[in-house]
Amino acid sequence: MSAPFDLSRIAALAASPMGQWLGFTAVLDGDGAVYRLSFSEEHIGNPMIRALHGGVIAAFLETAMRADLTARLETTAAVSVVNMAIDYLASSRAEDMQGRVRLLRLGRRVAFLEATGWQQAENAPVAVGRACLRIA
Amino acid sequence: MTESPPADNSPEINPAIRAMMRAARDMLRHEHSLLGSLGLKPLLLGAGKTSFSLALPERFGDGSGNVDSGFLTVVLDSLFGLTVFTAMKEFKPIATINLRADYLREAACGTLAVCDCICEGIRNEIAYVSGRLTVESDKSLIAIGSGAFMVGTRGPSKGSRL
Repeated sequence: MSAPFDLSRIAALAASPMGQWLGFTAVLDGDGAVYRLSFSEEHIGNPMIRALHGGVIAAFLETAMRADLTARLETTAAVSVVNMAIDYLASSRAEDMQGRVRLLRLGRRVAFLEATGWQQAENAPVAVGRACLRIA
Repeated sequence: MTESPPADNSPEINPAIRAMMRAARDMLRHEHSLLGSLGLKPLLLGAGKTSFSLALPERFGDGSGNVDSGFLTVVLDSLFGLTVFTAMKEFKPIATINLRADYLREAACGTLAVCDCICEGIRNEIAYVSGRLTVESDKSLIAIGSGAFMVGTRGPSKGSRL
């Protein structure tokens, strides 16, 4: 079921209203990709703090995991999220966030993935998310 | 012998928190671009309990006519935070520690939904919240979630939220 990583498969996801709102993009990096949330004022959570909204960070990492799985599948199967959990490790800033996804297990019907998001440096993560995705 | 009125044991929101909630409601409606764009309408603001209605917006669609599951996380995180405020005895800044969401069904953009949240308790400066997002018309579950929040954070910081 796994195929060579192909970013062209995520075009629809990036072009969706939510993908556009997140400013979601991806670039190839090694045998995977680095995903990007392009900062917009609408992504701010608390205007007093001017940090990214926690839900926006979660939505970005979730989108990155869907994109990553889609890019790895050899079929055009639909991918949806069963559930996701996120830990916020550090304060975020009002700026872009990048993310990288690790495929933990690819089954026939579900897959388990982990995504890490950072801003200043990859070794200083802001949030880590894990999700179970349905392949149908 | 006079009869005293029955004791009112219903939980009351601290006046300072109530004022803050009103400010938050106004912010939701008018000032904050993200929260304002969610189209949230308060149905209930009680001590440790909130309920909001919203029409799932097309601008957060997944490209197939349904709302993106990531949008549901934005809603849950926003309303969990507000619910924590209603349970506090005095205002303190909070920060999300973690969040979990289970997506039970897809929901078309435009669907009228209701999000009910409960702050289950605050202990050792950690607030525990849970909530459910349902379709208004038939009460079917769209998503359930839970989260933990640090209470009494130092506000704007350069590093740790905790």
